[in-house]
Amino acid sequence: MEFELDDDQRAWLEEVRDFLRTHVTPELRAELAEHDLEFKGGEVAAFRRAIGEKGWFGLNWPVEYGGLGLGAVHQHLLMSEFEYWGVPGPDLTVTSVAPMIMRHGTEQNKAEFLPPIARGEMICAVGYSEPDAGTDLASLRTRAVLDESTGEWVINGSKIWNSGAQRSTHEWLCVRTDPDAPRHKGISVIIVPIDHPGVEIRPLIAWSGYRTNEAFFDDVRVPATNLIGEVNEGWRYITGALDLERGALTNAGDLRRSVEDLVELARKPRADGRVPADDPVAVRRLAGLVADVEAATLMGYEAASLLAEGTIPTVEVSTEKIFTSELRQRIADTAMDLLGPEGLLAHRNPEAPLAGAYERLYRTAPLLRFGAGTNEVLRDVIAQRGHALPRSGR
Amino acid sequence: MKLVPSQEETDLRGMLRDLLAAECPTTLVRALREPGADRFPAPLWKSLTAAGVLGLPFAEAYGGADGRLDDVATYLLEAGRALAPSVVAGTLGFGIAVDRLGDDALRGRVLPPLCAGELRGTVALADPGDAHDVRPRLSARRDGDGWRVSGRLEHVADADVVDRVLTTAAVDGRTLAVLVDPRAEGVDVTPLEAMGGPGQFRMLLDDVPVEEVVDAVAVDDLRRVSHTIAALRCVELVGVAEEALRRTVAHAGSRHQFGRPIGSFQAAQHLVADMHIGIQAARLSALAAVAALGRGELAVRESAVARMHATVAAKRATLDAHQLHGGMGYVLETDLHLWSERARVLSSLDGSADTAAGWLAEEVGLVHD
Repeated sequence: MEFELDDDQRAWLEEVRDFLRTHVTPELRAELAEHDLEFKGGEVAAFRRAIGEKGWFGLNWPVEYGGLGLGAVHQHLLMSEFEYWGVPGPDLTVTSVAPMIMRHGTEQNKAEFLPPIARGEMICAVGYSEPDAGTDLASLRTRAVLDESTGEWVINGSKIWNSGAQRSTHEWLCVRTDPDAPRHKGISVIIVPIDHPGVEIRPLIAWSGYRTNEAFFDDVRVPATNLIGEVNEGWRYITGALDLERGALTNAGDLRRSVEDLVELARKPRADGRVPADDPVAVRRLAGLVADVEAATLMGYEAASLLAEGTIPTVEVSTEKIFTSELRQRIADTAMDLLGPEGLLAHRNPEAPLAGAYERLYRTAPLLRFGAGTNEVLRDVIAQRGHALPRSGR
Repeated sequence: MKLVPSQEETDLRGMLRDLLAAECPTTLVRALREPGADRFPAPLWKSLTAAGVLGLPFAEAYGGADGRLDDVATYLLEAGRALAPSVVAGTLGFGIAVDRLGDDALRGRVLPPLCAGELRGTVALADPGDAHDVRPRLSARRDGDGWRVSGRLEHVADADVVDRVLTTAAVDGRTLAVLVDPRAEGVDVTPLEAMGGPGQFRMLLDDVPVEEVVDAVAVDDLRRVSHTIAALRCVELVGVAEEALRRTVAHAGSRHQFGRPIGSFQAAQHLVADMHIGIQAARLSALAAVAALGRGELAVRESAVARMHATVAAKRATLDAHQLHGGMGYVLETDLHLWSERARVLSSLDGSADTAAGWLAEEVGLVHD
């Protein structure tokens, strides 16, 4: 095992940091603070274009698909750095959808979808969960039926937690194509343009203020060639994509920043004059968070190293996902305890410490504990796949 | 950065696992704990010497394997799993201390017999409960060309079976590193009745002649060695925890209650998953600390992080192992307590997670005095 970044990795990290120093402007920060990602045609859009110009949307893709041919470790370092800076980087389309198209897609799938994804022009919302199919994803009911006369898939059903659909161009949609097959066998993945007739997107606003969506599909027709890979093989593709998604979502870059900021804040007097770091109990809790961020970082490095070797490290990524998501809640809770009543001051309140970042984090953190596979199911995965314990009845 | 074991690491680990499985069964571990037993494991020692374990990190010129500190960590992962007698790791730590602190002449005298299995040692360089506190426990006085030391050392490992103890003594405001022969006149060695069975000793030294390692040794040099040995013991804790987990999974997969293996119950699986997660954090952070120390860094931050994770993970893994074994793991004949005690002993020596949190808090500027 090699723990130090090698020369190539160090140079890469420097290149990423140079880019961020140039492109993360006060204007971008101001737009993100006020609108998150929802302001159309503004600084975030320009920032995305700059990322696209660097070729970083396809940084870990083979050169033949319009990528830079860099490895999973490069991607992980970049994602962690973007998270540390608190700016949007390559999204799920790039980190989990595209690799599955490369791995499992038809030649036409690859030619049609990969180049626009690499340019940042095609953005997918991920359509997995349904109102009655959440953690038990394999019970999904959205149907696609092939109309032999026109050669089109006809889609009916609905999806929920369809995050980013309002900013997306396409759905990476998980549908049932064989209702008679066993649950996991009759599922396929179809790409659906979001502006197609019959697609309707309705917002759902979460506790954190985050917008997610419900998506409805009413006799939506797409060409047969929009089906990814082979029909009825979709379960393999989405579980693979979910592993990648967990890996991409759970780098510890944002957590490192949160803890560094908190250590800094804890050394300064609060509004009531108290200095949190004068309290040994507070110091002990902060030291625990620092140690946990280091472990989370190493877990991310390990998962990226394994990905670079060509394996999908399901157990390692599950471990990292559980650890980082639960750590995020500990950070938020510790921060609010240390900041006292001042910590209650809301996100975007200029009087709040760090503009209410921890007040919001407390509301944001629950998402990643149940999202992208609940931690309970992922604990089952560790026990069953990592240690060969028998399947539970659940 | 590439956190995947190399082929060499995998091969070394496999070789050590096979060797220890054959030569260090729990019957040996138990026998060494019996009252009045000869505590030196001669046949195991001979096999480990033949396999080159005692020379792993030392230069070929001294009979070593010219390996990295990481190779010693690989040994300790397996030593933790097999509960290998501490005199092996202790002697490796002693050799590392001589290698780092001594001059060529001393290395030339100590390391060849050590690599050949003919010299055994241990260190007492820090507060037994705080690896970062390297203030000398003994005082020294000049005696002709040499030195004599006096004072008291607590929790010295294996003082009954080692040939030399590397420790420090204060003289005129500076620190002297010395080698003590525990059988020299003026040394009183008393076994401590403690968890984990015999193996820890109190040494009372009354004007004992000693061999100089280095005069006016720098605090950071001592800390580097002390943290290196402590980080290696964090790796050992990981091995202890891994074996507790392995035994637990084996038990939970085969023990049936209510008509199904208890390992199929989600509550049991989640305990297993939490053991796994804790061990991952511990394993990665302990190996990261060893790697940093192997590069010659002081690595207080990495050492603290390793200790904070390794102690917690090993205690949790062993105590949750008891929970999942129930009565089957509570009776002495199933041996589980051997790992539980090792986990607890190694979590007290060198410092608890709270002690290490203090090192870390200082590193990140949270404590000032």
